[in-house]
Amino acid sequence: MAATRKVKIGTARRTETIDIRVPETEPPIWDADAKLTVVGGSYPRLDGAAKVTGKARYTFDINRPGMLHGRILRSPHAHARLLAVDVSKAARLAGVKATATFESPTFFAALDETDESGKPVEGAGEKAATGPRRILFAGEEIAAVAALTPDIADDALDLIEVRYEPLPHVVDLEDARKPDAPKVFPDGNQRPATVWSAGDVEAGFREADAVVEATYTTPVALHNALETHGAVAEWQGGKLTVWASTQGVFGVRDDLAKFFKVPSRDVRVISEYLGGGFGAKFGAGVTGVVAALLAKKAGAPVKLMLDRQEENLATGNRPDSVQWLKIGAKRNGALTAIHLRSYGTGGIGGGAGVSGPVRMIYACPNIKTEEQDISTNAGFAMPFRAPGFPQGSFALESTLDEIADRLGLDPLALRKTNYIDRPNKGLMEQYDLAARAIGWERRRPPAENAAAGPIRRGFGMGTATWGMYGGPPADATVTIHSDGRVECICGTQDIGTGTRTAMAVVTAEVLGLKPEQIKVVLGDTATGMYSPASGGSVTLTSILPAIRAAAELARDKLFRAVAPALAAKPEDLEASGGRVRDRVGGRSAAFTAAAARLKSALISAQAARADNYPGVGIESFGAQFAEVEVDTGTGRVRVLRIAAAHDAGRTINRLTAESQVNGGVIMGLSYALLERRVMDAPTGIVMNPNLEDYKIAATLEMPEITPIMMDVYDPANNAGVKGLGEPPVVPTAAAIANAVSNALGVRVRDLPLTPDVILAALARKEQA
Amino acid sequence: MARLVKRRVNARPRRRAGILARQAGRRPGPVDPHRRVFLRLHVNGADHTIAVAPHRTLLEILREDLGLTGTKHGCELGECGTCTVLLDGIPVLSCLALGLECDDRPVVTVEGLADGPTPHPLQEAFTELGAAQCGYCTPGILCAAKALLEADPDPNRDAIREALSGNLCRCTGYIKIFEAVELAAKRRREPRAAPSRETLFGRRD
Repeated sequence: MAATRKVKIGTARRTETIDIRVPETEPPIWDADAKLTVVGGSYPRLDGAAKVTGKARYTFDINRPGMLHGRILRSPHAHARLLAVDVSKAARLAGVKATATFESPTFFAALDETDESGKPVEGAGEKAATGPRRILFAGEEIAAVAALTPDIADDALDLIEVRYEPLPHVVDLEDARKPDAPKVFPDGNQRPATVWSAGDVEAGFREADAVVEATYTTPVALHNALETHGAVAEWQGGKLTVWASTQGVFGVRDDLAKFFKVPSRDVRVISEYLGGGFGAKFGAGVTGVVAALLAKKAGAPVKLMLDRQEENLATGNRPDSVQWLKIGAKRNGALTAIHLRSYGTGGIGGGAGVSGPVRMIYACPNIKTEEQDISTNAGFAMPFRAPGFPQGSFALESTLDEIADRLGLDPLALRKTNYIDRPNKGLMEQYDLAARAIGWERRRPPAENAAAGPIRRGFGMGTATWGMYGGPPADATVTIHSDGRVECICGTQDIGTGTRTAMAVVTAEVLGLKPEQIKVVLGDTATGMYSPASGGSVTLTSILPAIRAAAELARDKLFRAVAPALAAKPEDLEASGGRVRDRVGGRSAAFTAAAARLKSALISAQAARADNYPGVGIESFGAQFAEVEVDTGTGRVRVLRIAAAHDAGRTINRLTAESQVNGGVIMGLSYALLERRVMDAPTGIVMNPNLEDYKIAATLEMPEITPIMMDVYDPANNAGVKGLGEPPVVPTAAAIANAVSNALGVRVRDLPLTPDVILAALARKEQA
Repeated sequence: MARLVKRRVNARPRRRAGILARQAGRRPGPVDPHRRVFLRLHVNGADHTIAVAPHRTLLEILREDLGLTGTKHGCELGECGTCTVLLDGIPVLSCLALGLECDDRPVVTVEGLADGPTPHPLQEAFTELGAAQCGYCTPGILCAAKALLEADPDPNRDAIREALSGNLCRCTGYIKIFEAVELAAKRRREPRAAPSRETLFGRRD
């Protein structure tokens, strides 16, 4: 049954009360009027001590009695027929305990369709294929061994004999679009375009006073979490236990159950600590399946962790893009039309679309987007922190700045002119907060900057948005023991973001305790408490409402047990400051004393995430401003400072929220200035599958970052929490590129902004 | 057209040595799989006498032979810094150091930073300020930072950047790491020092 509830939404600056329909069983939403004492504070991670002492055990650190070590043999060819694989010599090497070959074209077919983004990740379109398996990229899995030591497993790989029939390959985006290009899939390399439109862009351009069009490019980026993909698998009887480096324990469980045709209750997946994921670690993947397969064949536990090169060949990437963008605006900056045409390659996978920012951020009556995936003989794409958004944001925000320059408008004023207002949106305040923090008034028009010396400064900005809601199913249990201990249990995983601590904060809020008094159990499918995978900024929005509901049910059970002792009615009791108090009579008892009144050793309550409330839009927003310094002699860009104002609805833990913002910014900066996968066209291999030639930002590239978390009271769910994983990475590259263009007086249209790109832009300017 | 393709050799150290030898036109020397050398390692104040294959790296010995998994495995190529430990008090990449080189020299890993039950000021500051996010790079960064504080008890931000420039982190954005090192440096002089409210651009509210 649904009930109508009044909710006060908005920001500290302005609120309004609206009616919304929510399920009757839902606790009242933590809205603008909610008086919370724990939520919103700054709390160190509960697992901080484990992480700084080396006690935290990641998948790579798991060792089991009698454990073997697995290694995978990979194709050196970008495109080939796999004619024969002979592992007999390898199998005879002393210490080798199991071998496996993947000659069948459908060997990994059970893994298709299980990728979180809904994209086929392995041999798409070849499911019904017969005959020899076609290898589609250099790095595809051919065979695997498990041996007593990693060294023996390595030696065994050398003894595997493989016969390939090399086929012509194509790894370059532009080459793949040519009609005579080698075909990655039988139906060609150009996937059908996705077209979306609102209004009439041609009419919009006719109304415009200024029209700007340009083409932008972005590179393929590699996730490079510091812990590589991998798993430790162990069979006991028909039951499988897997420790996996994963963002989704339940997804891994379901993939393995499907592959091995066992009920999912016979598969247990554990991930207590994860060394980063960023979107590349959903599902069991080939790595998880091979670990479990070798363990089954050997009858012993197997650890299979990828090395850095494998990580960069075959575990995912962010597709590149070529974006042609045309934008029209009136003299006052009001947008009249946006037309985006883009293509990019996710290798043998898809996901090269970039239109999110164009469609979501600014008010414009006429928008058309046409996006196309191009197939190449390269590793498949996986979601990479805000899939599609950093790319799209770069082209969109760049073009908007160009229009602002053309019309003589302040770029921030132009964004405000095209603002989409909503009561539960704090973006206008975020613009002001971040602009003040960076000192936006110091921004000069590009012509003035260009008159400065060889070292020039510039300012730029961009807008963040992200709109995933989370939702059911997500389940949680809260248990109160008679000795006062409290456990919060949810199978979800903490991928480094602070999920564990956020769970404790919400439980502590409801029970009137401190977060460090809550024991959190997570990262284990055996809890039975389901959670979605941690990706798309949906973890807290999915699980915290369930945790809060479970904690309230447990608290109410405690109140009923303790009420007689306080001579109070259960409904008059409240829990705060470590005590249970009678609001009417005024008597109180310490929480532990109250728990001691339980007539059982413990009480436990379980609750489920309710459906998202109808008619409520809950996008997260943010604004980032950058100040940069560009050396026009060397072409080197130094980012001096980023001010980033964001909201995640109601902030749960300020400390970890700020960390998320800092982390998103550095990842965006790294993408803007440094990262690019380089493919060698003649051989079809990745030239920089390592951290020396594929550079990611380190301490010396760090600017000063000012993270500003603001609270927005939004009826997103009963905890009022929204996503923060993706938004901070969305506009960073755009803000930096705009600052660089502002400094130089010439647009930079190609990421990453390496010195050659800067110097080429300056040369273009001189020629003009 | 002939093209020079730089094929990287990314494999376990012994295999890597063999492949490099073959690429240089030499046959890798015969490897006796049963050959062992005795090493005396002083790790975190404890003595271990172990027999290991001579090609074994310090990282392999720590993680696989001594069970000290606090030191992390990130790339085994000396590129990411996650395996940083202290050898004679100097930060080294344990994935590139052979166990043989460490014979009879003191090694300190993340497990050895605390003084008994008392955590090192760096460990406290990293926990308090949230400088460990996913935590995978943390053990290596703590070791590098400890060496910095031993050499320079009051490092400025640039000295910290420089000292930690070989340690990659993909989560935190480094800011909280810098702040934690600064706080730990202060706490070593003044145990109850509070985190700084100053930033490069003014005060934090």
